[in-house]
Amino acid sequence: MKALCWEGINDVRVQDVPDPQLLNDQDMILKVRLSTVCGSDLHLLTGHIPFMQAGDVIGHEFMGEVVEVGSGVTKHRPGDRVVVCSFIVCGRCWYCRNELYSLCDNTNTNPAITQHLWGADPGGIFGYSHAMGGFRGSHAEYVRVPFADHTAIPIPEAVDDMSALFASDSAPTGWMGADLGGVKQGDVVAVWGSGAVGQMAARAAQLLGAERVLVIDRFDYRLRQAELAFGVETINYAETSVGDALLEATGGRGPDVCIEAVGCEAHSTGPQYVYDQVKSKLKLEMDRPIAVREAIYNCRKGGSVFVLGVFTGVVDKFPLGALMNKGLTVRGAQQHGQRYIPMLLDRIASGELTTSHLATHVMPLSEGARGYELFKKKEDDCLRSVFRL
Amino acid sequence: MNTAGKALLATGVATAVAVARRRRRASHDDTSERWLAVTVNRAPEEVQSSMPDDLARWHDQVEISVRPATGDKGTEIRVKSTGEVPAHELRLALRRAKSVLEAGEVVRPDTAPTHPGPMGKALQLVTNRAGGGGRL
Repeated sequence: MKALCWEGINDVRVQDVPDPQLLNDQDMILKVRLSTVCGSDLHLLTGHIPFMQAGDVIGHEFMGEVVEVGSGVTKHRPGDRVVVCSFIVCGRCWYCRNELYSLCDNTNTNPAITQHLWGADPGGIFGYSHAMGGFRGSHAEYVRVPFADHTAIPIPEAVDDMSALFASDSAPTGWMGADLGGVKQGDVVAVWGSGAVGQMAARAAQLLGAERVLVIDRFDYRLRQAELAFGVETINYAETSVGDALLEATGGRGPDVCIEAVGCEAHSTGPQYVYDQVKSKLKLEMDRPIAVREAIYNCRKGGSVFVLGVFTGVVDKFPLGALMNKGLTVRGAQQHGQRYIPMLLDRIASGELTTSHLATHVMPLSEGARGYELFKKKEDDCLRSVFRL
Repeated sequence: MNTAGKALLATGVATAVAVARRRRRASHDDTSERWLAVTVNRAPEEVQSSMPDDLARWHDQVEISVRPATGDKGTEIRVKSTGEVPAHELRLALRRAKSVLEAGEVVRPDTAPTHPGPMGKALQLVTNRAGGGGRL
């Protein structure tokens, strides 16, 4: 079958790879219909996450049609249309039972790497390096789905393929930021990053009762899209002081909840960005936590900061003093997708949540390399490239 | 190799060295004295009555302790070698037993890429043993 493979730094190519097989009783094989790029893939492309092998199939946000099920699969049948969460989950360990699905104990087949790096291993992810299990990704004609009854979710008839696609990762990740960030009725919420996850977090904040939602980015086309889709307020940090704008918007208090949806290769303006770039190039700092610093600094006293962006290791100049003295709650997580996906599909079906506008560039898998190039360089107002298979 | 490639290689090598160092240190610490443990999301009596073969097969070379976990978190299975069972084997057995008890099977890794390259092969050396390494 054809698949989009990581072949080296900034080098992805469509290759012929063996078809996936059922390896466990609880596996199923999915014929992928749609699979989208994600900002976190760029950390793989750039080599920021050094646990890739040439020939690895990438991609983790996808939907498709079931074509084969193992003897232990009871909830899905060939022909079913499903969305698959980027995290593979067993559904029965303590973490899964407590809806902390991305922390699943039984799905990372290489636990030693992340146990040494982080003290414990999160669950496995499709197409996201050998540190996260080495599972093949979804930019392929077919993909094996382990623990299929728990990892994949049926799509209601009223939800079209493209809308369902983003229920795989962007929508549940964004929702989780607003939910676990503690957004309440009447809150002012600031979201750093107007990509797919940031936009979904902004919409989630609205639906959870936030009175004002402000989205921060440097690309006007992304801010415009968020404004058009959801009516949020926007701040272009390349043109406006974020701190001043947030103080003005909140009567001098600062946002109640700050959601960071940028990640470890953040951009900024001014000397701080140069400092972080130099340190990361010299390998004296693994991640650039620019948006996290800004969120902590600007959050109101006693407020909440949720880190949705992907980080890999240690950071420098973390504002611990602000966190402690302002009495903040700082929390982060990879997405606990299965907790939210059924509810999000219902909200998509009812029209409360729109997602299909995120797919700005739809193309065949054969154009996978171009899709990543457009996405990485933010060319042609690309928000998400989606591969149709 | 370009600059980014060299940086990636350096990071990869540094990580592999760190993992190997920790593994050596862990292996030394684990040889005989320390209990290795996992917590299983099942009741103690269920664990006792259906101990998976992965652990049961070591019964004459390890001490096995089963006790309730705190806070309704299931059951702690602890093992300590009384013979020459390597810690690597015990960690692997504990993880497999936990997965069988909780999820009914041990998820198998996908097949490795066909052309991993020199860095990929180095990474394979790490991942080939990753199931029995790490912190338990």
